[in-house]
Amino acid sequence: MTSIDVQNLTKEYGSRRAVDDLTFSVRPGRVTGFLGPNGAGKSTTMRLVLGLDRPTSGSATIGARPYAALHEPLRHVGALLDAQAAHGSRTGRDHLRTLAASNRIPQRRVDEVLAETGLASVARRRVKTYSLGMRQRLGIAAALLGEPEVVMLDEPSNGLDPEGIIWIRALLRRLAGEGRTVLVSSHLMNETASFADHLVVLGRGRLLADTPMREFIDARVQPRVRIRTTDPTSLKNTLARHGHDAVEHEDGHWIVDHARVDDIGRLASAAGVPLLELAAEEGTLEQAYLDLTGAETEFTAQHQEA
Amino acid sequence: MEFTPVLHSEWLKIRTLRSLVGGLAAVLLATAAFSALAGADTEGAAFDPLFSVFFGVGFGQIAAIAFGTTAVSSEFRGGALRVTLAAVPRRGRWFVAKTVAIAVPVLGVGLVTGGVSLAVGKAVLGTRADGLTWGEELRGVVGCAVYLTLMALLAAGLTAVLRSGVATLSILIPFLLIVSFVIGDMSGSVADVLPDRAGQVVFHETWDGALGPWTGLGVTGLWAAAALLAGAWSIRRRDA
Repeated sequence: MTSIDVQNLTKEYGSRRAVDDLTFSVRPGRVTGFLGPNGAGKSTTMRLVLGLDRPTSGSATIGARPYAALHEPLRHVGALLDAQAAHGSRTGRDHLRTLAASNRIPQRRVDEVLAETGLASVARRRVKTYSLGMRQRLGIAAALLGEPEVVMLDEPSNGLDPEGIIWIRALLRRLAGEGRTVLVSSHLMNETASFADHLVVLGRGRLLADTPMREFIDARVQPRVRIRTTDPTSLKNTLARHGHDAVEHEDGHWIVDHARVDDIGRLASAAGVPLLELAAEEGTLEQAYLDLTGAETEFTAQHQEA
Repeated sequence: MEFTPVLHSEWLKIRTLRSLVGGLAAVLLATAAFSALAGADTEGAAFDPLFSVFFGVGFGQIAAIAFGTTAVSSEFRGGALRVTLAAVPRRGRWFVAKTVAIAVPVLGVGLVTGGVSLAVGKAVLGTRADGLTWGEELRGVVGCAVYLTLMALLAAGLTAVLRSGVATLSILIPFLLIVSFVIGDMSGSVADVLPDRAGQVVFHETWDGALGPWTGLGVTGLWAAAALLAGAWSIRRRDA
């Protein structure tokens, strides 16, 4: 099993610290979302893992080996860094052929990944005629070329149409399901929430969180319950008796903060309060993330092995 | 990583870019065309039939330089080098493969160019070319191939250092077109060891500087080697 291990990784550009003493692992069999605002150091970290930039200190390894020591690396690691990397005057297929040749990947894989990414019909067109979404798919095709056990994608949903976004979600889930190690950076919370199992969150080059996504949200966002009733007075009294505070909203529904739907449902039922609607409002990744970055000044990096 | 697949990949990159294939064709066309033109004007006391026959190399080299530059500069746009080096993390090996993939086609096209230029030039000169010996003609053809290859490699190395095709061409082309013409008649000076001046001795029947045809190409080779070493150093050292 191949994981990505980052150890005390630091990268300085002049006096600016892009990555600051990062330590985390990305494990196989799940999708790890790599979150942080623009400029937090996500792309730099990926470049360091790929041996493209030299770390100021610390190390990054793939399956305990530095990237440069991998024999035919595309067969181990597939990466999408920049959708603009393919030369505009080459056809998409030729772009993939040059990559495949360097790592002795059979030519049939080129046509397979083109079909898999939905580019088969434009494979012989020059890349400069591609839309951003098509370039993004070509970059993903390049990442999948060597059937790698580690896949790293930097902002893969950039420029994809809604259909493409659903496609990439399914792709990421499938890759993780096949036991591969999948690291996907994004600054889009709802998008990340739809595919990630685990999160690594960066802020200004430092590690802010390394935790399963569900725990990350639950630890930061209190659950709420949403209720509609025909008898507000009775509802309010019942809840108040048990220490819950119900707040009425404009369109007639009530929100109970810091409460679980199981408890509220039982209370209402026991008190005979007629309910029209009872629903749990789960915390979203976006709320949890804003809570974390809002508290960034006083944060202590939490590092949990999962 | 083995070398052959890397070389194969670099060769594919050259074959699949029309501008590069076009650049190679331009080497042949420009050289032959200007050699033919030169043959039409042979006035003056210092007429040298060998130089007349290969006169077009001075123009063909611009295409060779553009070829060497573009082959490397295409790696420095849009993060292409990152994709390349992620596939081939052994940077030294990669750069050697790139160099070979540039040198071999230019050498091949250079030989054809030399042959065509000779044939066209002699046809235009007619009897005025009778003084050329078989040895001089062979020297010119081989020299044409080697000279064009070295100039393409000089440009390739410089591009790797400057990381920009525009920067490379805006140094080399004015240099070749202007500097050499301006100081062209000053023989026996520093001008003799400039890469183009030194290498072009091979296209003269007689020479009066310190450098002969092969030593002159050797000097051009040193320039190209220096540029390539600097390029390799830059590729290995710097963040991609």
